[in-house]
Amino acid sequence: MKTIVLSCLAVLLLASGTACSKRPVTSAEVVAAASPALPQDPGDSRWNRAPEFSGALLLQDLVEPRLMTPSTAQIRVRALTDGTNLAFRLQWVDPTLDDAAAPSRFPDGCAVQLPRDVAGETPAPQMGEPGRPVEITFWRADWQAAVNGRADDIQSLYPNASVDHYPFQAPAAEPGSAAQQAMARRYAPADAAGNRRVGPRKSPVEDLVAQGPGTLTPAGQSRSSGRGIRSRDGWLVVITRPLPAGLTSGKRTQVAFAIWEGSHGEAGARKMRTGWVPLLRQSGL
Amino acid sequence: MARVFNWQIGREMSYWYPESRPKRQFAAVFDINKCIACQTCTLACKTTWTSGRGQEYMLWNNVETKPYGFYPLTWDVKLLDMLGAGRWRGNVYEGRTIFESAPAGERVLGWRPSSEDYAYPNTGEDDCAGRVDHGMSLSLPHLSWFFYLARICNHCTYPACLASCPRASIYKRTEDGIVLLDQARCRGYQECVRACPYKKVFYNPMTGTSEKCIACYPKIEQGLQPQCFVNCIGKIRLAGWVSQPQQARSENPIDYLVHVRKVALPLFPQFGLEPNVYYIPPVHVPLPFLRQMFGPGADHAVNLYRNAARDPDLAALLCLFGSTESVVARWRREGETVTGSDDQGAAVVRVPVREPVFVRPAFDPKFRVIRTNCP
Repeated sequence: MKTIVLSCLAVLLLASGTACSKRPVTSAEVVAAASPALPQDPGDSRWNRAPEFSGALLLQDLVEPRLMTPSTAQIRVRALTDGTNLAFRLQWVDPTLDDAAAPSRFPDGCAVQLPRDVAGETPAPQMGEPGRPVEITFWRADWQAAVNGRADDIQSLYPNASVDHYPFQAPAAEPGSAAQQAMARRYAPADAAGNRRVGPRKSPVEDLVAQGPGTLTPAGQSRSSGRGIRSRDGWLVVITRPLPAGLTSGKRTQVAFAIWEGSHGEAGARKMRTGWVPLLRQSGL
Repeated sequence: MARVFNWQIGREMSYWYPESRPKRQFAAVFDINKCIACQTCTLACKTTWTSGRGQEYMLWNNVETKPYGFYPLTWDVKLLDMLGAGRWRGNVYEGRTIFESAPAGERVLGWRPSSEDYAYPNTGEDDCAGRVDHGMSLSLPHLSWFFYLARICNHCTYPACLASCPRASIYKRTEDGIVLLDQARCRGYQECVRACPYKKVFYNPMTGTSEKCIACYPKIEQGLQPQCFVNCIGKIRLAGWVSQPQQARSENPIDYLVHVRKVALPLFPQFGLEPNVYYIPPVHVPLPFLRQMFGPGADHAVNLYRNAARDPDLAALLCLFGSTESVVARWRREGETVTGSDDQGAAVVRVPVREPVFVRPAFDPKFRVIRTNCP
């Protein structure tokens, strides 16, 4: 009897091994594979060098306002590092394209979060905690659309909109002059306050730091880059950020991911997220 | 949730933050009976503050016709329906506020209008509540009625917008109680748009942040009334400072109207925000409608206002509406003259309580002409 059981077990193991060899290599942690160059194109074949991490997403249901009904179920992540930067490719299923922000319209988005201090105690996964900051790189579909060349005007959101007049476009204001631009900024209060949330931009990502829910603040300078494209069934987004200080070859830190589904009204705290996932910098380079 | 006291509903209630009242509270009284919906206030605000890109649809000040006018569509009836019926026992509201009925995961019971909901700012304009049939005669309240409701941000004591913001981007100024949205901090989540029951926070799609009425604070800081007040053709508005009931002072015009005479009432006090724009309700409208909109004080306010012409002090104070650009902190009637003073007690305006009346005979015998309708 014992021989029969063992034989069956051996057959099962062989069968599962055969099956695995046909699937992409998967991992229980995010492994940043060494790569001499980091592709910015989400469709680049070099991403296949890294094993794929696939994780179930959780509701952000810990702090108000919470997300009470689930949307995006799963995230797939591959990571590469060239020894200077750390690149992630995030992939998720999203049949609806939401790449604009307007009243009651929200863009799709994603974010990568790492503890600032690799060596110290890991902060709370929910946006860090006081004294233990986290670094977040945030990508938004409407920012990507702006980078891709969408016009910065109201007609890009409402094609039939008709505007009679903006004061800063009065004939008396010389187009492009300093006085005219200053006047235009006065009528865009957030812009005047240095808070450009939408509009023309060079990058679809933003670097942020946080020390707990509600404390998200832009980092002093944005050093990350990114690019998102629509896949057959959702989004493929590359986010490249500096390699955390102290994350030497073969060492581990933590990483967390979040996804916002625009058509589900998700923004800010209303999101699907992971907890901390171990992030291994593979040896090499 | 903290426990705070809301005098407008006569009881303690739940709120996201502990009670923290400003040193003094910006407030206003709007006399609905005098509003003609000329929208001069709307345009005064529009040209001053919201002429920019992404602000095209924004009306920080609007005037809508009740009962069928809404901006945005259904703003009040939708929330009333979500909130359900609530009972008043005397001056105590026994129903639940929008903070107390917040669903799981939310800080406030609310809803968010779509772009389309903002697309019809003059819907229901001048529409009567009923048909005007042949042979109908005037009576009070009118069988068929409508009235104009001018609205700005209420600079609430317990703002829902402020409570709902997960980033604390909205704050209430300690010096004057004006509620402001920090344009440097906002990230455009639109939680405030969802939470404000009066729908007076607007998302700007060209800046990616939300914006709201600022009570023209640069003018308030100079002792001047906001743009929508001083441009009001019907002189329906008076800006000033409101005290808590136990600290009310008769010489403060807002206190006198709100607390002493109780002729000016908050808009939907049952929502629980302790709004600080007070309305003298329209006298021709059925009382059940007014009670729902302004609370249980509607009957008293209507009766008092109907008698205002024979009420020397009330009549005198109403004459100060629209009489000066300055904020009137104190007032005093002496005989047939009413005086408004600033914070320091210096007179800023003097107004006769009754304008002199000249009667021109209909027929001019010298020229043998009827002059009544001559310009």
